[in-house]
Amino acid sequence: MKIGVTRFPGTNCDHDIWSFVEARGHQPRWLWHQDRFNPREIDAVLVPGGFSYGDYLRCGALAAKSPVMNDVRALAAAGKPVLGICNGFQILCESGLLPGVLVRNKSRRFIDEWAELQVEQPNPHFGRGHQTGARLRLPIAHGEGCFLTTAEEMKRLRGEGQIWLKYVNNPNGSLEDIAGVTNDKRNVAGLMPHPERALYDWMGGLDGGDFL
Amino acid sequence: MTATFPNDEIRAKAQHYRLNAAEYELITKLLGHPPQGIEWALFSALWSEHCSYKSSKVHLRKFSYRNASVLESEGENAGVVDLGQGERIAFKMESHNHPSFIEPYQGAATGVGGILRDIFTMGARPIGLADFLCFGSPRADRMKSLVAGVVSGISGYGNCVGVPTVTGQTEFDAGYDQNILVNAMAVGLFREKDPMALSKAKGPGNWVVYVGAKTGKDGVHGASMASESFDESSDAKKPNVQIGDPFYEKLLIEACLEILEKNLVVAMQDMGAAGLTSSSFEMSSKGGVGMRMDLSEVPLRDASLTPEEILLSESQERMLLVCEPARFNEIQAVMSRWGLEAKKIGEIQAERRVTLLWRNEVLCDIDPDLLVENAPKHERPYQPWSSPRRQADPTPAVLKNTPLGVVFQQLVKDHRLGSKEWIYRQYDQRVGLRTARDARQSVAFLRLPDSGRGLAMAVGCRPSLMRMDARIGAFDAVFYPALQMALKGARALAVTDCLNFGNPEKPEIMTEFVTSVEAIAEAARLMDAPVISGNVSFYNETLGRGIPPTPATGLVGLRESVSRIPWDEFTEAGQVVYCLSSPLVRTFHRTAEVLGAEPAFSGDFSAEKAAMFVRSCRELASKDFFAGSKAVGAGGLAFTLARMTEQGHGFEAGEALSAMTTAELLEERLYEALVAVPAEKTADFEKAAGDFSNFLRCVKMGRTGGDKLDFGGGRAFSVKQLHGWREGAWTQAFGEM
Amino acid sequence: MKFGVKIMPREVILDTQGRAVEQTLKGQSFRLDSCRVGKFVEIDVPAATEAEGRDMVKKMADFVLYNPLIEVYEIQRLG
Repeated sequence: MKIGVTRFPGTNCDHDIWSFVEARGHQPRWLWHQDRFNPREIDAVLVPGGFSYGDYLRCGALAAKSPVMNDVRALAAAGKPVLGICNGFQILCESGLLPGVLVRNKSRRFIDEWAELQVEQPNPHFGRGHQTGARLRLPIAHGEGCFLTTAEEMKRLRGEGQIWLKYVNNPNGSLEDIAGVTNDKRNVAGLMPHPERALYDWMGGLDGGDFL
Repeated sequence: MTATFPNDEIRAKAQHYRLNAAEYELITKLLGHPPQGIEWALFSALWSEHCSYKSSKVHLRKFSYRNASVLESEGENAGVVDLGQGERIAFKMESHNHPSFIEPYQGAATGVGGILRDIFTMGARPIGLADFLCFGSPRADRMKSLVAGVVSGISGYGNCVGVPTVTGQTEFDAGYDQNILVNAMAVGLFREKDPMALSKAKGPGNWVVYVGAKTGKDGVHGASMASESFDESSDAKKPNVQIGDPFYEKLLIEACLEILEKNLVVAMQDMGAAGLTSSSFEMSSKGGVGMRMDLSEVPLRDASLTPEEILLSESQERMLLVCEPARFNEIQAVMSRWGLEAKKIGEIQAERRVTLLWRNEVLCDIDPDLLVENAPKHERPYQPWSSPRRQADPTPAVLKNTPLGVVFQQLVKDHRLGSKEWIYRQYDQRVGLRTARDARQSVAFLRLPDSGRGLAMAVGCRPSLMRMDARIGAFDAVFYPALQMALKGARALAVTDCLNFGNPEKPEIMTEFVTSVEAIAEAARLMDAPVISGNVSFYNETLGRGIPPTPATGLVGLRESVSRIPWDEFTEAGQVVYCLSSPLVRTFHRTAEVLGAEPAFSGDFSAEKAAMFVRSCRELASKDFFAGSKAVGAGGLAFTLARMTEQGHGFEAGEALSAMTTAELLEERLYEALVAVPAEKTADFEKAAGDFSNFLRCVKMGRTGGDKLDFGGGRAFSVKQLHGWREGAWTQAFGEM
Repeated sequence: MKFGVKIMPREVILDTQGRAVEQTLKGQSFRLDSCRVGKFVEIDVPAATEAEGRDMVKKMADFVLYNPLIEVYEIQRLG
């Protein structure tokens, strides 16, 4: 697969995602924030984590308005897979591709730790072999990962099976322990944990490999 | 003859610029006329302790030991070490103590930003950060907010800029109540084919280019402030605070690495302490050239800045570079792609003079060496080291004939020995995909992407040992982290340091300083790990009270791979635990302080024996015997064993340990290490250890297993409870922050 | 009685957020000369007079709401 990797000013997991894509046997291609691309030439898009625009104003808000996101939206509308990780998840929420919003952790502090997750609804594109109820261990590293949305939307997310991953021990105050969600068509997904940080034994875990 | 000022007006002016009468005389002699106009400000900044190292320079020469792997050291922004296999690293440690005490969040953040710029200026991509923090007692005025502010400053900056903070050390002592220490270390990686950028300006006719953030009033006179003790007027100095922007720094990193990689740059330096002044004069002096620079061309955030303020501003995230005129457009193109500005502000001239212009008027025209090379070098008075705390028996009275239970609990529940998880949880430790061992282990390991080898990082200096004996403490600042690395199978390669001391004009402080420098230099030579970069921070004193001498060190080391690095903790039941030792001195330092006694020691420290012990431990570790390993530190064998049970696997003492008294279990002997060997490897291990019997003793201590830490003789503690106490120590001391 | 506390970065201090927002807006062809980002705090106090209310809010602002090193503030009556 040809996988586009978005780069915004302040993205800092870009090289990590690049090597993740390569390690899983796909061809990465940079998608620069100011440039447009042809959605037909790209099979999927990964939106890496980091601090796009320094998290200023609201996490992901300024990046969501970048020119490149117009084409990411078009690619998603065509049913191709899009995955946002950490700040990438925040960007997808701000750009309207995913429901909800991510706000400051309940502790008000940044949290770096290995988190245990449970698969609620396996995703057809990201997470091969995941089964409902499966447990995974992935690192989290974020200051604003508390997922929020309206009661009404929450109901819809449950009904449509859009809740993808949940924390076993909620670290950040997320509504219903949510760690990852998808859109209604399941082709756009976002999660706060970092699968690319759990690919080899020396990293401390292997559960990230299945995500791509 | 004592120097004097010609009149009161000049005395007042000199005082404002923090120059003394002898310096005033020397300046007059060097210039051939009394300083005038902007010259005052230039000499004030560049002859400050912070920029000139005038009190330390004659001693820093003692760090002259080098080996073949050192590529750059003196005079450059950071030291560079060749790792072989096409990989090399740049690394350095620096203090940001005073700014952090005034405004903890911005002080710590800009400290991280500054040390990162020293690294990527050279063309190396920053891959790891470490911090060494000393705070006062949790009950001291402002201390809780200082701790919270510093930690979130480091976390806010490092996380955003995308460089993992992978190790560090945090100390608490009332000696830092009025003067905290914030030292940050950064390591950068580059490949052999990547050009290394130096700070020597070259090539008359080449352009001097300003890159990065616009200049504001931030930190004007910061360099001379850092060279001053705190007094009660520090409140009025608040407007000097510099604001760091990690987002902007990230753009600067990417842009600078790109122009370096494309070979567009002749020389480059960060505008750090004393901003444009130090970068322009130092680059000229080092390159043996001159520079003609128009200050009216400097991009300003605030049009009201005077030339003096422009020269001294410490606005963050700015670089000065020299390039061939033909390369400028390409540089500008890269910068603008990253949303940054590059602006020509001057040219290199053959004549060794720095000519500064302001609105077509020459402000000064001066030989840069006068300010850089001819800064005063003081031979401040000091004494040879005598060890006032050496005693026949260092055992504190409170530990004689005392059951273990009560004192052990006291140690485990003390915040000074407690878990620092509250801090490390706030640092992104894995961004960059290199982290193999994080700050939760005694030594961090980053995987080098090309060779797959492990780059070890650790910081050193145990202030409680320094308070006991500056000579032993300074030796230990190298040997202890080197031992920690050795036990993981890594060889220490090089050292950076951050020498934090009080007022050097006081002979007792200077004595501690000189003693420390000499001990660190000797230890580094014996470990074949040269001291190749660093920083001195003097005048860490408030209202006449100095901090404990604190020569922090940062070590980098190398291990052949990142697989099977021994853990700090026991990972399985049934492993056999041994104590490796080379008894040099008996000490009670941390234990003594926690129990309210005076630190003391007996015996003679032999640096040669310490070095041989460290080497022998590494030899054994490299044979893959150890599943777990840990240097015995604060709280002696008992507390170190407690730390090793933190993954939930208990320990059962054998004969030797069961026979030990409370004092013997808590004594902090230099040096000892605990290693856990899988049962099937014990025979081979014992045989191998026998080969090193000239350098170390190996005694069986017990076996892992169960859910208790059992010292024998009915002295058993639930592992879960111990862990809970240690985790709770932070909240006990600081409450819910 | 409701008051608003508008907290802005001091003029001489670098406004990192304002700089980022300004550059983004300009990059998308919006026309603007400058942009600064601050905070707004609404406080409802049990005060009998506006002067008393302002005084109460000022004490709170001085106590914790702003950092005099880097920020300035202004109190507005909201209703």
